[in-house]
Amino acid sequence: MSEFFHMGGFGAYIWSAMATALFLMLLEPMMLVIKRRSVLADIKRIKRLEERKSRR
Amino acid sequence: MYPLNMKINWFKYSAPMNFYPLAGKLIPIFWLLAIALIGLGLYWGFFKTADILNDQKQYYRIIYVHVASAWMAMWLYAVMVAWAMIGLIFNTRLSFMMASATAVTGTVMTVIALVTGAIWGKTSWGTWWDWDPKLTTFLILLFIYIGYIALQSAIDDTRRSDKASALLALVGLAIVPVIYYAVNCPDPNECASLHQESSLKRVESNILIGMLVTTLGFWMYSFATILMRARNIILERERNTSWVSKLEEVNR
Repeated sequence: MSEFFHMGGFGAYIWSAMATALFLMLLEPMMLVIKRRSVLADIKRIKRLEERKSRR
Repeated sequence: MYPLNMKINWFKYSAPMNFYPLAGKLIPIFWLLAIALIGLGLYWGFFKTADILNDQKQYYRIIYVHVASAWMAMWLYAVMVAWAMIGLIFNTRLSFMMASATAVTGTVMTVIALVTGAIWGKTSWGTWWDWDPKLTTFLILLFIYIGYIALQSAIDDTRRSDKASALLALVGLAIVPVIYYAVNCPDPNECASLHQESSLKRVESNILIGMLVTTLGFWMYSFATILMRARNIILERERNTSWVSKLEEVNR
């Protein structure tokens, strides 16, 4: 098992390359979810404000 | 009557109002396919290639993410230009939204290709960076992607920013064939290229399977993130329309 992670002496390079790809490919969808939440929150807030205005 | 039906469907989904729920249904499917294919591709690449390990230094395994992301960076650029052109010709809002949704995923793929390439270069060439033709042109691709995104966000009027950035994308398309041919050099002594001529026929078949399946997974990942971003852009741009205010997620 440790031989597998060692990768014939290139483990540090191989796993850091894999980790870079994994990190960015998790970060991108996370940012998209955060963005979606903030856009939806904005739309809801404006909608509530307009409903309050129209009730007056 | 078949072509007529096709036409109706086509135009139906070019309207953001109809595209938004369709994209929402497709996103989980693309995520499942992405995880399954990338998992399978890397499994194949790491565990089904034991028999060739004696001849090959193991750093070659970076190939799975490096080649997949580099291919995606170039293909997504072409996809982005295609959407931008459809937008310019037919003046459809959704096409421009798809183009800008594609740009960011393309940028992420370019960064992955450059970073994994630098790590691979350090092990096999002994240097993180060299002004090799492919590296240099790939860096220019990154700058064009960033330029496209920057230009789009610099102009407040979306119609104008869509058109201006679409033109920039079209002009920048020239870099893609240059990247592709940057290594097809008959004599390495003459054109100082560190990258080898790319030939899929020379790649060992199990490595090739791992590489191609991972690439297919990267396509699915790209579809998933592009559709997620397109939905965000649609919500932002159509926030004042009645269909958005009737959405379930807005009324929860």
